[in-house]
Amino acid sequence: MNAAAVSERPIRVLLAKLGLDAHTIGVTVIARALRDAGMEVIYSGLKQTPEMVAATAIQEDVDVVGLSSLSAAHMQHFPRVVELLREQGADDKLVIAGGVIPAEDAQRLRDAGVAAIFTMGTSTDEIVAFLRQWAASR
Amino acid sequence: MSQPGDPRDPEALRKGLEEWERQTLAPALEREGERLPAFETQALHWPVERLYTPLDLEAAGFDYLKDVGFPGQFPYTRGTRPNGYRSQLWAMKQVTGFGTPEEWAKRAQYMLDQGLSGFFIEYDLPTTNGFDSDHPLAAGEVGRAGVAVDTLADMEAALDFDFSKLRHLTSVCNGPQPVNLAMIIAALEKKGVDPASFTLQMPNAILIEYTCVGRYIFPPEHGLRISTDVIEYTIRNHPNWVPISVISAQLYAARANPVQELAFGFSIAMQYLDAVLARGFTIDEVAPYFSFVTGVDMDFFEAVGKLRAYRKVWARLMKDRYGAKTREALELRITASPGTMSLTLQQPLNNITRLAIQMLACALGGGGYTMTTPLHDEAHALPSDEAIAVGAGVQKIVAHESGVADTIDPLAGSYYVEVMTKRIEDAVFAEIEKIDRMGGALAAIRTGYFQRELAREQCERNRALDTGKRKLVGVNDVERRSDEESLEIFRVDPESERRQIERLRAVKARRDEAKVAEALERVREAAEGDENLVPPILEAVKLYASQGEICDVLREAFGTYMPDSLTTGV
Repeated sequence: MNAAAVSERPIRVLLAKLGLDAHTIGVTVIARALRDAGMEVIYSGLKQTPEMVAATAIQEDVDVVGLSSLSAAHMQHFPRVVELLREQGADDKLVIAGGVIPAEDAQRLRDAGVAAIFTMGTSTDEIVAFLRQWAASR
Repeated sequence: MSQPGDPRDPEALRKGLEEWERQTLAPALEREGERLPAFETQALHWPVERLYTPLDLEAAGFDYLKDVGFPGQFPYTRGTRPNGYRSQLWAMKQVTGFGTPEEWAKRAQYMLDQGLSGFFIEYDLPTTNGFDSDHPLAAGEVGRAGVAVDTLADMEAALDFDFSKLRHLTSVCNGPQPVNLAMIIAALEKKGVDPASFTLQMPNAILIEYTCVGRYIFPPEHGLRISTDVIEYTIRNHPNWVPISVISAQLYAARANPVQELAFGFSIAMQYLDAVLARGFTIDEVAPYFSFVTGVDMDFFEAVGKLRAYRKVWARLMKDRYGAKTREALELRITASPGTMSLTLQQPLNNITRLAIQMLACALGGGGYTMTTPLHDEAHALPSDEAIAVGAGVQKIVAHESGVADTIDPLAGSYYVEVMTKRIEDAVFAEIEKIDRMGGALAAIRTGYFQRELAREQCERNRALDTGKRKLVGVNDVERRSDEESLEIFRVDPESERRQIERLRAVKARRDEAKVAEALERVREAAEGDENLVPPILEAVKLYASQGEICDVLREAFGTYMPDSLTTGV
């Protein structure tokens, strides 16, 4: 595939809810906003394990994995997803996260390889712009 | 002779209004214009007129006796209590719950000592999803979003506080509600507490979980069956408890507008009513057991209109659709609380102001029997002790300092409030009819109608915030600040999870395994037949079968539920 064909392919995003957290508004709003921005969005549904998310990300050949948590189990699951992708040679995928994530946890997640953390109040335009910029610089 | 403004003479009023528009308003508009090109309500996006007069009531077909009436009389627009809050204030409750059962019991005692007469127990996600603390999916969640209850031993520890001050306890455990009910009954029995000494309220309206929240376990029709078992068992054995509480606040929290909240909530309630009626009760026997929990948003008049319409629609449904005759059946039992969804992470102290305004709307809308306050830092993390005290203070200040509780339904007769109330009522009936045509709530869940409607509202609200059409102080009216807020964040002790799992293992090690297996087998037989599930579950619970084990038996009998792309609304 040449460079032009790569850049024309829409950004493929997997949005995932990990663990038992079932707050879905953020993920719903972002799924629709990314779709409206021309991206391809796959939604995992609820009650996913990091293993399930990594497997889906690889199987669906996504560019971006967006992890959502509002129940405070983000430290449990998010770094594990990054680790699993790395172990399976899929660390070219961008992992981003959103939800209720205190500042100190956000730093620890960034250290663990989560590229960006979008907390409450982030506009969807901001997320779209971030992903486009990342895709363009790839 | 009538004067302009006299509602008895619409012609004089129309003339007065025209004169005002021409002589007084027009020059002012010429000079100053208006702040916005159009004004609309926050959730419903209904146009807000410049001025409401008796002419608007006339246009809406408003009839005082028919639409408003008197307190404690049909259609209960002015409240279900004949004397409003003059005899008794609302019961003050708060939502909280975290950590291990012992930590929860201490927190419960603290809340009672703060003067609260009741509270919600929220359980952690493994518990509400019917998993034990040692289940792989439970990792990192044990005791985080609520208290962890695996076995009767945990419930005994969680309820280890002074019941003499307790009036209401709401136990929020929708998915495995029969197991939760059985654990509470068994724990009270062991403690020697008279179950009739307080009111236990259970949401037990699992159908809401399929539209939002998502703490479902079984396919919806089995969810309906186990809820119906809980209702039937409770009515027959604990007649002063409230075995079903449709928490339409969850719909609101999922961004349902007031019309959707009431229409979806009532459609779900009617699905349960029909199921309970089919077990041989009459409407006048069962309707009094139904209660509702709502939340209000920041649009003060939508909030007040919603609460007043809530009572009217229920009364009319009970009377016209079900032929209810008794006062108890026609009166809506409702808890109204400020909504956590309007709290912001940014500038969190502003949430105290939001809570106060919403609490005022709850009091003025006539929240009914009880009201709850969330806590000002709920957007951040679980509530700290200070936040609990502030939340209690908001309720007390509205109750004792504002004067709103001293006369009954003081906003009645406001042209705007009455127009809003009537419009919401009419729109709710139209939406209920639409859902009826789809085949009712169960059908609307199966086809994803509720879920898609909510997803649309979620995106619209988000867009309104992104574009600044809706202002949110501290969020979109200022440059975004960094996340350096000085708020105290409550954190659960990570050791709790380990201790909880140890406790579960210890309980399992000292119980009679053969008896547990037999009891679980009886649960299975009941699940596969149509015997009420609560008695066999109660027996299993008393033998210290864990809730995960009991739910596993039910999972085998009923199957589990995973929505497809259509029914997630995404």
